[in-house]
Amino acid sequence: MAKNAPEGESLYRKEPKIYPRHVTGRFARLRVVAVWVLLGLYYLLPWINIGGNQAVLFDLPARKFYIFGLTFWPQDFIYLALLLITAGLSLFFFTALAGRLWCGFACPQTVWTEVFVMIERWTEGDRQKRIKLDKAPWSREKILKKSAKQFLWVTFAAWTGFTFVGFFTPIRELGSGVINLSLGPWETFWMIFYGFATYGNAGYLREQVCKYMCPYARFQSAMFDKDTLIISYDKERGEPRGGRKKGIDLKEAGLGTCINCTLCVQVCPTGIDIREGLQYECIACAACIDVCDQVMDKMEYPRGLIRYTTEHALKHKKTHVFRPRIFVYGALLLVIVSSTLWSMTHRTPLRAELIRDRNALYRELPGDIIDNVYTLKITNMDSSAHTYRFVLPEGIDAEIETSRPLDLSAEEVAGVSVRIRMPRSAGQGIQNVDLQLHAEDDPSISKIVKAKVLLPLEFDNP
Amino acid sequence: MAKRKKSIPGRWGRRKRDIGVSIWVAFLAACAGTFVIFAVMDPEALNDAWVLPWEMDRKLAYSLGFAFLFVVGLLASGLTAFMIRTGPAKGHVKGKGRRPPPVITSPTKDNPDLDIGDL
Repeated sequence: MAKNAPEGESLYRKEPKIYPRHVTGRFARLRVVAVWVLLGLYYLLPWINIGGNQAVLFDLPARKFYIFGLTFWPQDFIYLALLLITAGLSLFFFTALAGRLWCGFACPQTVWTEVFVMIERWTEGDRQKRIKLDKAPWSREKILKKSAKQFLWVTFAAWTGFTFVGFFTPIRELGSGVINLSLGPWETFWMIFYGFATYGNAGYLREQVCKYMCPYARFQSAMFDKDTLIISYDKERGEPRGGRKKGIDLKEAGLGTCINCTLCVQVCPTGIDIREGLQYECIACAACIDVCDQVMDKMEYPRGLIRYTTEHALKHKKTHVFRPRIFVYGALLLVIVSSTLWSMTHRTPLRAELIRDRNALYRELPGDIIDNVYTLKITNMDSSAHTYRFVLPEGIDAEIETSRPLDLSAEEVAGVSVRIRMPRSAGQGIQNVDLQLHAEDDPSISKIVKAKVLLPLEFDNP
Repeated sequence: MAKRKKSIPGRWGRRKRDIGVSIWVAFLAACAGTFVIFAVMDPEALNDAWVLPWEMDRKLAYSLGFAFLFVVGLLASGLTAFMIRTGPAKGHVKGKGRRPPPVITSPTKDNPDLDIGDL
């Protein structure tokens, strides 16, 4: 392959390492807030208990998810599907409205990279110092700085891996398991795996993940239109760019307001030049806006040479915030979220099903009574114990007998043998009976259970 | 962008080949997956686990299992084709090809009055 390339030039250029310069300002502050809130939630949630259970615990071996006091069973997997649809739609909605908000402020890749870069800055210094340190030969100072960084990175990544597993195994048990060195093989594996992934992604891969691995980065442009908020350099105002002394007459010098300080490139975590126009590598972190605004202040030019704007606004056209796609995404989101919430708060914490005994048709008892046998599969999905009782529909003459009282402790699953006895005179062939099963202490918990009762067919013998 | 080449008779275009390959690879993966999964797992166990609100017989379970694996395989192979075709190798900015990294100079080189001390 490379032999087809022009002489002295390889088709594959080594990606230059990016040393993002530290930036302060409005958007940097906003990102720090996002980092604290999101990582705070991640690291603290497993330690909080609600109603005796961990606030968020995905108990895979028991096949139950505990989320903020609600218990989800495998049968509730529809909510998982709805959650994924909601997440997808939200991404569409916010992308259409405000561009790559997700990438710049909420994506785990961004958030964790921010922390790793912060650690790097504490130990090795800002951009210039880091470049110098990397070029310098190994010395006592370099070894010290690099090992301090590695120590903090590895510790932080290990804590991240530990917390991740803490969402699947009760974190307090996990903690004592780590202290006593009595962890199971799977917990150990996933802790190391997730820790390693964090270390690699946030410490080394960084912007490469966004450029080469992230599918969202590739198709987000499909959700963009000319009214979507993007970070853009105002070419009209900035060009022609060039260095200058403070206070010179721009017209006389034939210059725009861009002083070509290249600070916008230096702060960019993906190493692009925003002045080249909208690029798919831009994760909309707004670091270039922050730094450019400060430079504009120092040069006493108005702020906003690089700013959040829309394509329409740049062309001096009106920006429409409310447009069809916003309404469509918004309405769909509203319908799905509200119906999910409604159904989650209104679901009956009881699951029951009567399954006919496959081996027997029916049994005739003395006194013209017909006996049908079933297995009742019953799950008390509530977090408190209940006693359940069958209620017959009106006008049905039948008797129900269960092999044990229907007392179920919290979250108990039981199989109970049930007999339904009906007089022969009640009918012929299959009788569909809708039984009502309800909790004695809570009338709101009730469920219709369908029973197929077989009665003998009578033929008129000649 | 390079001039669009005339299509060669009897030869599929790139998009068509991408789609064909994606579907075929997903099909092969689904076949292998169905074979292995149901060799070790009896779909009747699904009924005993009592997750689905209805009972299904083995043939339905095999078919649904295959369909599910096929869809997952399609998602993976389709996304792979898409990611490869749209990667940065084609050019960072449409039509510009692969660009050299942006030039970075010292901010104060041509701007003697700019004080970046506290930036």
